[in-house]
Amino acid sequence: MRPDLRPLLADALLGLADDEMILAHRDSEWTGHAPILEEDIAFANIALDEMGHAGIWYRLVAELRGEEPDTYPDRLVFHRAPDEFRCIRMVELPKGDWAFTIVRQFLFDSAEIVRLQALGQSHHPPLAKAAAKIAIEERYHDRHLRAWVRRLGLGTEESHGKMQAALDQLWPYTGQLFEPPSSEGELVAAGSFPASEAMAAAWVEGAAATLADAGLRTQAGQPGINGGRLQHTEHLEPLLAELQSVARLEPQASW
Amino acid sequence: MTDTQWPRYEVFVQERPGRPHQHAGSVHAPDPEMALLNARDVFVRRPECAGLWVAPATAVHGGSAEELPQLLAAPRSQGGSPSNEYLVFAKLEERGTLTHVGEVRAAGREAALAAAQEAAGNRPPLALWVIPAERVERSLPEEAASMFDPSRHKPFRNQAFYHIQTALQRLRRDPSLIANRQSPEARR
Amino acid sequence: MTDDERLAHFEARIARGEKIEPGDWMPDEYRRQLIRMISQHAHSEIVGMLPEGGWITMAPSLRRKLVLVAKVQDEGGHGQYLYHAAETLGISRQEMIEALHSGKAKYSSIFNYPATSWADIGVIGWFVDGAAILNQTMLARSSYGPYARAMVRISAEESFHNKQGIEIVLALVQGTPAQQAMAQDAVDRWWWPTLMMFGPHDSESPNTPALVRWGIKTRTNDDLRQEFVNQTVPQAQAMGLTLPDHELHFDKSTGNWRFGEIDWAEFWRVVGGDGPCNRERLQARRAAHDDGLWVRQALAAYAART
Repeated sequence: MRPDLRPLLADALLGLADDEMILAHRDSEWTGHAPILEEDIAFANIALDEMGHAGIWYRLVAELRGEEPDTYPDRLVFHRAPDEFRCIRMVELPKGDWAFTIVRQFLFDSAEIVRLQALGQSHHPPLAKAAAKIAIEERYHDRHLRAWVRRLGLGTEESHGKMQAALDQLWPYTGQLFEPPSSEGELVAAGSFPASEAMAAAWVEGAAATLADAGLRTQAGQPGINGGRLQHTEHLEPLLAELQSVARLEPQASW
Repeated sequence: MTDTQWPRYEVFVQERPGRPHQHAGSVHAPDPEMALLNARDVFVRRPECAGLWVAPATAVHGGSAEELPQLLAAPRSQGGSPSNEYLVFAKLEERGTLTHVGEVRAAGREAALAAAQEAAGNRPPLALWVIPAERVERSLPEEAASMFDPSRHKPFRNQAFYHIQTALQRLRRDPSLIANRQSPEARR
Repeated sequence: MTDDERLAHFEARIARGEKIEPGDWMPDEYRRQLIRMISQHAHSEIVGMLPEGGWITMAPSLRRKLVLVAKVQDEGGHGQYLYHAAETLGISRQEMIEALHSGKAKYSSIFNYPATSWADIGVIGWFVDGAAILNQTMLARSSYGPYARAMVRISAEESFHNKQGIEIVLALVQGTPAQQAMAQDAVDRWWWPTLMMFGPHDSESPNTPALVRWGIKTRTNDDLRQEFVNQTVPQAQAMGLTLPDHELHFDKSTGNWRFGEIDWAEFWRVVGGDGPCNRERLQARRAAHDDGLWVRQALAAYAART
C-alpha cells in the first residue's frame, strides 16, 4: 500500500475500532441486569464479539503505524485522552432502557454489515480478510437484533412506545455512521476503503424497511453532524474515566 | 398481564456432522426462533457444535423407564394421520443422555411412543421421548458458519489458554520476580 | 409396592450407581433436598455475576476485559443449566426467582462480600472458583441425572475461571509494590469467607445424612475444605502472598495444612442475611427483574399472536 495512505487508513480504522470498543463497554454494563437470564448470556456474547472486533481493528492500526500489535491496542484504549478518540457520538450515549439498547445496537450493527461487505472488497488484503472474519459473527448479531426489533416493535403498546421513543432519540445520530473520513477521496481511489455515500444509501433503505416492518417510523433524512469523529458528547469523558481508572493507577505496569 | 419466564424449549446439540443430536438442557424463550437463538448463546459458547434443535417442552411425550409402562397403557387420542413423523430420543446408558435414535410414523403421540418402544427391541431404554417432527425447530446448514464458527475463535474460554503451572513453577525457581518479596515470618 | 418397598428399591438403585431420572419414583425428602440444593446453587451463580460484572468496565487491559466478560457470561450459563435441572423436579423458574427475590431462598454467602479492588477479581477466581471446582467435581457424581449432567458441563467450563483468576494475581505480584499490596489486601479479605463457603462442620450440618445416603453428597464439608487449603497454600507461597491465619502450619504426619477456627458467628450472621452486600445484591436482582417485566410481556404478547 502507498506509504502516504497508511496514516489515513489507520485513522479511518481507528474510528471503527473505537466505535466497537465504546459500544462494547456500554453493552457490557447490562451483564447481570438484562430482562431475562437468556438475554444476559446472549448480550454478553454480543459484547464479547465486539471487543474481539475492536481488537482486530486496533491490531491493523498498529501494523499500519509500525507499532507493536501486542501492546499498542492497550495503549490506545487505556492511555488516550477523550479528544483523541475517534468514535461516533451514538455509541457514547448511556445504555438507557432495553429498547434504547436494542435500537442502538440494531442501527449500529446493520450499518456495520453494509460496511463489512464493502470492506471485504478492499485492495488492502489484511483489511479484506479482517472484514470477512468479522462479518461471520455480525450475521448472527443481525439475526438476533432483527428478531428483537420486530418483537419489541410489535409486541405491546408499551414496548412499541418505548421503541419509537428510542428510535426518535437515536435517529439524529445516524448521520455519523457513514460520514466520510476526511481522506476518503484518496482511500477510495486506491481501492483501500469504500465510498461512504453508496454505503449510506444502502443502509438507510434496509434499516428503514426493517424498522417499518416492526411498526416503527423513521424520520425522513438524517441531520448533518458537525465536528467529525474527534468531537464528542459529554458522556465520553466519564466513560473513559471509568474504563481507564485501574490501568491508570500504574500506567507503566502490566496487568 | 401476567409475568412469566417464557415457556421452556428442550435443546438438542449435534457435536459433529453425522453424529446424533443429544439432549443438553433447555432454554426459556417466547417462540421457536428465539429458542434457537437462545440455545445457541447458552449451549454453543465452546466448540463443538455442528447442529442445533429445539422443541417446546410441552411437545415432548415420554419419560423414564419407570414411567413408560403407565404411559404406554394410557388410552390413545383419536384422529391424526397415521403417517405423522415423530423424532425418537432414547437414553441407553446410565452415564449417557437422551440421544436421537431415529424416527417413527404414527397417528398420535401415544402410538408413536409405543412404536419407539417396540423399535428399541431387546435394548429397553432408560428414558424415551417422542416429539412431532413439525414441532422441532432446526438450525439450517447455510447458517452453520455464523451460528457455530465463532465459538472456535474464543480460545480464552478454554483452560488450556492459561499457563498457570508453568508460571507458578517459574516463580518458585526465581522468587526475585516477586515485587518487594519478604519472608512470610517477617510479614506476620 | 408399599412406600417402604419403593424406598428400598430406590436406595438399591442408587447403591448400584444408577442415575435417577425425571419421572422416577423418589422420596419426597430427596426431591425437596435436591430442589433446595440445586436452586440455591443456581441462585449463587446468578448473584455471583454481580460483584464481578461490576468490574468489567474497569478491567485494565483488553485481554482482561474480554476474559472477564466470558467468565461472567459462563456464570449466567451455569445458573441456566442449574435452573433447568431443578425444573425437571417440578418447580418452575418463576417460582425459584420469586423465592430468591423475596429472601426466602438462600444462595452462597460468599457473594455477599463486596469486590472492592481489581485484585479482588483475581482472588475471587483463585479462591472462590478454586473452592467451587472441588464441590462441583463431587456433585458431578450425583445420583440425580439432570444435576450430574449439569455439573459435568459446568466442571468442564469452570477450570478457566480459576486459572484466569490466578493469572490476574500473578501479574499483580510480579508488578509494582502497589499492585502486590493490592493482591495481599484482597487475599486478607477473601480467605476466611472462602473457607466458610464449604459450610459448617458436618456435625453441625442438619442436611448431611440424607444427602450422603442418597448419593448427592459424597464428601464431607470438612474434607473438601481441607483439600482446598492444601491446594491453595502452596500457590500463595509461590506468589509471595501470606494467608491471614496465624495458626496455619504444615502437619507432616497427615500431609495436611492445619488451620485456625472459622468465626462461626460471622458465618451465621452472613447466612442469615446480615452480610455487607446482602441487601444490595437482592435489590439489583429485583430491579433487573422488575425493569424487564415490559420486555418479557412484549415478547409473550408477540408470540401469542403469531
